[in-house]
Amino acid sequence: MSKKLMSLKAAALLASATLTMGVLGFISPAAAVVDCTKATANTNDCTVLTVNTFGDVIQPALVADYRKLRPDIKLSIKKSDLDALNGTGLFTQCAAGGAGNPDIAAVEISYSGFWRSYPQCFVDLRNLRNKDNKSANDIKKDYLPWRWEHGVGYNDSVIGIPTDVGGLEVAYRWDLFKKVGLPYKRDEVSKAWSTWPKFIEFGKKYVAKLTAAQKKANVGFIDNVGTIYPAVMNQGTEKYYRNNGTDQGQLIYKTNKQVKLAFDTTVAASNAKIGTRIGQFSSDWNVGMTKGTFAAMLAPAWMTSYIKGQSPTTKGKWDIASAPGGGGNMGGSQLTIPKGSKNQQEAWNFISWYLAPAQQLKVFEIYGLFPSTPSLYTNKAITVEKDPFFNNAPVGQIYATGVKKLKPIFEGKLQRCIDMAMGSAISLVANGKEKVPAKAFATGMAAAGKCK
Amino acid sequence: MSQTTVGKARASKPPSPWKPAKQPRKANNPNAVPSLNGRWGYMFIAPFFVMFLIFGLAPIIYSIYIAFFNWDALGTQEFIGLANFSELFIDTRFWNALINTLDIWLLSTIPMLIMSIGLAAVLHNPALRGSTFFRTILLVPNITSVLAIAIVFGQLFGRDFGMVNIIIGALGFEHIDFVQGTTSSHVAIASMIVWRWTGYNALIFLAAMLAIPNELYESASLDGAGKFKQFIYVTLPSLRNTITFVLIVGTIGGLQVFAEPLILGGSFNGGDSGQFSTLTLFLFEQAFVAYKWGYAASIGIMITVIVAIVSVINFYITRKIAGDGR
Repeated sequence: MSKKLMSLKAAALLASATLTMGVLGFISPAAAVVDCTKATANTNDCTVLTVNTFGDVIQPALVADYRKLRPDIKLSIKKSDLDALNGTGLFTQCAAGGAGNPDIAAVEISYSGFWRSYPQCFVDLRNLRNKDNKSANDIKKDYLPWRWEHGVGYNDSVIGIPTDVGGLEVAYRWDLFKKVGLPYKRDEVSKAWSTWPKFIEFGKKYVAKLTAAQKKANVGFIDNVGTIYPAVMNQGTEKYYRNNGTDQGQLIYKTNKQVKLAFDTTVAASNAKIGTRIGQFSSDWNVGMTKGTFAAMLAPAWMTSYIKGQSPTTKGKWDIASAPGGGGNMGGSQLTIPKGSKNQQEAWNFISWYLAPAQQLKVFEIYGLFPSTPSLYTNKAITVEKDPFFNNAPVGQIYATGVKKLKPIFEGKLQRCIDMAMGSAISLVANGKEKVPAKAFATGMAAAGKCK
Repeated sequence: MSQTTVGKARASKPPSPWKPAKQPRKANNPNAVPSLNGRWGYMFIAPFFVMFLIFGLAPIIYSIYIAFFNWDALGTQEFIGLANFSELFIDTRFWNALINTLDIWLLSTIPMLIMSIGLAAVLHNPALRGSTFFRTILLVPNITSVLAIAIVFGQLFGRDFGMVNIIIGALGFEHIDFVQGTTSSHVAIASMIVWRWTGYNALIFLAAMLAIPNELYESASLDGAGKFKQFIYVTLPSLRNTITFVLIVGTIGGLQVFAEPLILGGSFNGGDSGQFSTLTLFLFEQAFVAYKWGYAASIGIMITVIVAIVSVINFYITRKIAGDGR
């Protein structure tokens, strides 16, 4: 009864509020207080911003903040679970001349090499100015230089602004390390695996201490050795392409020693049998994280929040050590305004607000995504913060040290295709289908040659 | 008065409603009904054909056109003649995908056919109570989202903590790494297809069984045929056309299996070494990872050709299996 009354009252209030809003809106639209998040709002006063995204690029808490800041904007967010589906949507829409494009689209970092060749698919963010009269050129200094490059087209136009940075370190189960008598304190661990060969040795020692039952249950040291390949690649200065100012870039993968090094390191880890060969994000992986099927995993900053969400019962048993070979990056995105966006001005207002240092700090505090704006790296929230989930590790400090070391790496047009070819070649060795690593490497190179 | 009218009408041959008299089409004839076979008929079927032209035929023709080009869909088109096709014929990934697809199709179609005919025979039994309930239930897998099915089955077939492997382990066998193996991954994918389509096809078979005249069964039992023999000699031959239909529709769908392997592997390469890469997955990978749209289009054309060939083979095999009819 009282509930019913309450809802009636609420409805009446709402109705009168709408009425007032409508009248006010009629008299002077500028002064009207509209709330476009409500279905009853007068839609003529609302600007609908459509956002296509994936995963956790756009965070709900910040969307709520923006609603308070700009009640006249209605954010219509479409989220794909797979970044690939998000990417193909953007691709086909550009091929169709921008028809059906959203106002804002998130672009995953592995697509940035491709989109760099087609800046004409995006609005040049240097030409837009937000309410503080700032264009992309004016905010460039706020971001990590190597991260900023991911959103720059070959003709120097700015097509995307970086979201978080996936600085790469290693998350490990200190309790399991301790159990088998290996170093388990983060400084000792970082020192013990300062290079990749040492990391593999460390893993071998861990696997050697496993019981027969554990081995039978496929327990291993690291979740999947395949993750080592991109990690080593990103520690170099060049990948498959060299920037020669053209839209495609110059292919150098055949001569770049970093490719061979990354391949050999991964194959060595595979042959040392330190991995569990569980696919990342599979159900086995999710469960294994809790059950200790693997004791270490390469963890970009965003992975820390994933671990927390996936295996809350392991709280305090994890710790974070530096990645072998020093730092690295995995993941991250850009927010772009595709050609065909109908609200470019409002889209830029939102992007420049959403990715500004203040908001990135909040995202770090709530969700653990690491900011791409170095001015925050000296902020107390990042330097002092200790994470009880990770055994009170100074998570922010560790990641900040890692990402500051990185240099810009040129991402070329067909990088995803070449990455996939090399990944398949590594699997040939890992699955025992090819015994000679050099032959697998040649197979990978031949497959990469078809990416053109 | 009324009598005379009737008499008059009789005298002048009453117009039958079933056989309309041929009337000369004259504009001033008040009785002229526009024939549905004429211009009006086209208007009624137009919505389908207009849609088909825009969303069916035009893309088909366009994809044949771009199969002759090297094109990434955004840049310039480079005419390369038949080079896409000649490259395709020596591309091991294509043949691998083709073999995988056919294997998955065989692994799914044969059990599905047997199981759905069996289910239909059970539902056909008049002694079965609540048959409407069971008929409805059979459709549930079919209306479930294929992504949901793939995610759940992917978990069931997990190597370490999947339910199937927990059972295998409890029976004292080694865990099977379904995703990494070639045949095992095909079995996993085929089981998703079987689960999804068996009930649906059972209903089609049931409908066909209900149409078989009872007299056939009666005379068969008079000749001394038991239930099983009746099934073999009466039911199966009568289902011949339905089996052909189910097989052809199943072939078209089965050779285009896409979502199941995509979700099982979580990427477009169909497993680390392409062990369950299918034709459509390979097509998609070429279009959206390698950005080779011309090449992807040529794969699409090859899929069409392959489906046509397999369907024709199916057609003749089912004719043979289900008896010559007469």
